[in-house]
Amino acid sequence: MKLSNSQPTWLPRLSFAPLNTAPRGDTLVVIFLRGAADVLNMVVPHGEENYYQLRPTLGVPRPDDSKKKKDEKVVDLDGFFGFHPSLSPLMDAWREKQLAIIHACGAPDESHSHFKSMELMERGVNDERGPASGWIGRHLASLDTGNVSPLRAVGMGTRPQRSLSGSVPVSALRSIADFHLGGNPLAVQQMRAALELVYQSDAMGQETLRIMDTLAKLDPLNYQSANPQSTAYPASDFGLALKQTAMLIKAEVGLEVSAIDLGGWDTHFTQGVASGLMPNLMKDLAEGLAAFHADMRDHMDRLTAVTMSEFGRRAYENGSLGTDHGHGSMMMVLGGNVRGGQVHGAWPGLGEGQLIEPGDLAVTTDYRDVLSEILAKRLNNPATDLVFPDYEVKAVDVMV
Amino acid sequence: MSLSRRDFLKLSTFFAASAALSSCAPIYQRLAGGLPVTAWTEMDAADFLALNRLTFGPRMEERAHFAEIGLQNYIEEQLDFDSIDDFACDLRLSTFKTLRMDANELEAISNELFENYDRETVPNELRQATFLRQLYSKRQLYEVMVEFWNDHFNIFVEKEACFILKTVDDREVIRKHALGSFRDLVWASAHSPAMLVYLDNQANVKGTPNENYARELMELHTLGVDGGYTQNDVMELARCLTGWSVKEHFWLGEFTFRAQEHESGAKNVLGLAIPEAGQGEAEQVIERLATHPSTARFIAAKLARRFLADDPPREIVEKAAQVFIQTQGDIKSVLRVILLDGLPLAQPKFKRPLNFVLSAARALNVETDGEAFYQPLARMGQLPFSWPTPDGYPDHSDAWMGNLMPRWQFALELARVEMKNTRLNLFRLLDKVSTGRLEDDADALASLLLGAALPRSTRDDLLAAVTDAGASAEETLQVFAASIIASPAFQWR
Repeated sequence: MKLSNSQPTWLPRLSFAPLNTAPRGDTLVVIFLRGAADVLNMVVPHGEENYYQLRPTLGVPRPDDSKKKKDEKVVDLDGFFGFHPSLSPLMDAWREKQLAIIHACGAPDESHSHFKSMELMERGVNDERGPASGWIGRHLASLDTGNVSPLRAVGMGTRPQRSLSGSVPVSALRSIADFHLGGNPLAVQQMRAALELVYQSDAMGQETLRIMDTLAKLDPLNYQSANPQSTAYPASDFGLALKQTAMLIKAEVGLEVSAIDLGGWDTHFTQGVASGLMPNLMKDLAEGLAAFHADMRDHMDRLTAVTMSEFGRRAYENGSLGTDHGHGSMMMVLGGNVRGGQVHGAWPGLGEGQLIEPGDLAVTTDYRDVLSEILAKRLNNPATDLVFPDYEVKAVDVMV
Repeated sequence: MSLSRRDFLKLSTFFAASAALSSCAPIYQRLAGGLPVTAWTEMDAADFLALNRLTFGPRMEERAHFAEIGLQNYIEEQLDFDSIDDFACDLRLSTFKTLRMDANELEAISNELFENYDRETVPNELRQATFLRQLYSKRQLYEVMVEFWNDHFNIFVEKEACFILKTVDDREVIRKHALGSFRDLVWASAHSPAMLVYLDNQANVKGTPNENYARELMELHTLGVDGGYTQNDVMELARCLTGWSVKEHFWLGEFTFRAQEHESGAKNVLGLAIPEAGQGEAEQVIERLATHPSTARFIAAKLARRFLADDPPREIVEKAAQVFIQTQGDIKSVLRVILLDGLPLAQPKFKRPLNFVLSAARALNVETDGEAFYQPLARMGQLPFSWPTPDGYPDHSDAWMGNLMPRWQFALELARVEMKNTRLNLFRLLDKVSTGRLEDDADALASLLLGAALPRSTRDDLLAAVTDAGASAEETLQVFAASIIASPAFQWR
């Protein structure tokens, strides 16, 4: 018996031969806002009177409201929509046309259930009958980029996101510091030598060793952004996940997809208008993305980041200064090849007859249209029919 | 037997010393003794593979026993699990009070002030107990089947009240019927509050049906996705299941049928006309599903995949399915076919994380309370009862082959005895076989972990890699063991 395990019966079988072979394209960063973000208070339709009627307490004041301070009112984007003031760190990327918004975007599911909607969205399916794997997992499985890195797809956190599940192995990474052997330095050195020996004819093992060595040289605690004078990464889990994504990209360890969660958006109670619960979440999101954008300026041409949430929230505020589960949501796409500086998608309006029961923003763009375009145009994967089965993709023209 | 005074004195000092030593050992060890250290023989690859499928990784005394009685007798012994004395394992679990509680009691101990719930204690005790049983129970095949059915009837403990209800489901559904009749198992699962909550059947009421449980009952629990049912069958079964729910106040967490939420009228599922009969409607369908030929094939194939190969031999699956049909789903009879006929044809499978950590810990007689294993298991991707979707932890090698780093980390931490409340002593382990030569000890360790010693040149290369002037013989042996546990060969079973 050989430890390095080269007997043919012990070799992994390829259960699924990828349809396409192509060089890898952009690194994709997928950010999931868990809990159903209240997108109407993120990208505010300040040009629509109905918004203020529906949200007498929670409505974010118009950009021209002279009674309000700058950090209490909407930052105008295009005369109709504007950012919540907490999202203003994103203005640089917006002005540089590297940030696009797709409003009234989402999934067809109307269950209003976090569990179900998140699951369907991460699987990228119409209903439970679809494949059990995740949409990113199927993307990885349907495209052979010749990349055997264990960090080809990484879920930032303690376990990989549902969207990553599939036949291609993925890694969960809480921190870069996790990716090393710990303990007595002499024992680690011996173990390293032994692993080199027993994995000498195993590509994945060799790649894992190489990455272990590469990451050992990184120092997450003293990491310097490429643009230190710009917004700093927030000291949150989200900021750390983005910073580590940046480090992995720069270290060239084969990262193709990074999945990051930002939770806490289920704001049924006192969500806050200018400050409070939800503005703090938006600040974390915006500062993280702004810092990432500034840090990765030289890599933007090969980088696409996208945000999504399982559904939106009710158009009218509830009796507890919060909002209940709604329908239509919003996506943001950040990258060097985005048709940025504009709000895409048809705006369904918030008027009577425009909202869908029981008072929700309608969905005019399916989230899979946005993702399909990113996969096809930026990640060299034309097999979007495999990634999103039983779904007919429509063009949104958000990617170059 | 008569003892001289001198003998008596010698004995009494020995006993006094051992009493002093054992006073710090846990109660189960004082009562039942430690794990046995025996001599063992090398095994050929086929026997080692077979024993690796029947257990969570063979222990030295299991190897000795297997070598003595042979595969067939070993399987029969394990199938007759009730006759296997498991006193030592039971003792380890004696302090786990939640295992014996009903839902009402579990709710009471989890309920904290101001409507807050402690959602960790109960599922963690279940996780720990499950792990300790897999590690220490002598009823290994039974525990392997418990794991199989826990995957098959997967329940995610983080979903709503499942954090307490799963403990009851594990005891009353899975463990009760793991080697019994499939019909009883699926019947119990359908009446299990944990399952009904997990798959939203509480929301399945007259006028607003929820098809979630109805669909999974056919797709994942019985017929299989290609089992010949239609969307209409799902909708009709969902109608039959309206009103199947869980009590909320008194007798909280118990099954209940709410007649007022049940949709009236006749139904038709799988061509079977079902007259209006309240709770009896779905029960009639369950009887049909439990013994349906598609179910027989689906369960036989899934068992064969677990025990034999990612793509199991078709003729074995077919034969096992026929036995399933003939015996109306007698699990032991189906297993006999798969194990006796199938094991000689088995192919290597990549160890799932639980299997990986357990096989290392079992081979090395590790003593642990199990808690230190949660974190590595979570990072490898298999913390028990934490798979969110109803398909259960994947059983294909591909799904697990990427994430090597946490396995390597675990190997080193375990072998170097750096995990909390976890002990192992390589020298004591090799007590019965050691010659005192490092090379022989290395061969013995390799044989324990891989079935047989490594070829001499491989062993020498590996020893050279891990030997350093600054390390003691024990430390060298620890890293040697760690590198075997981390090696490609040990990832497969």
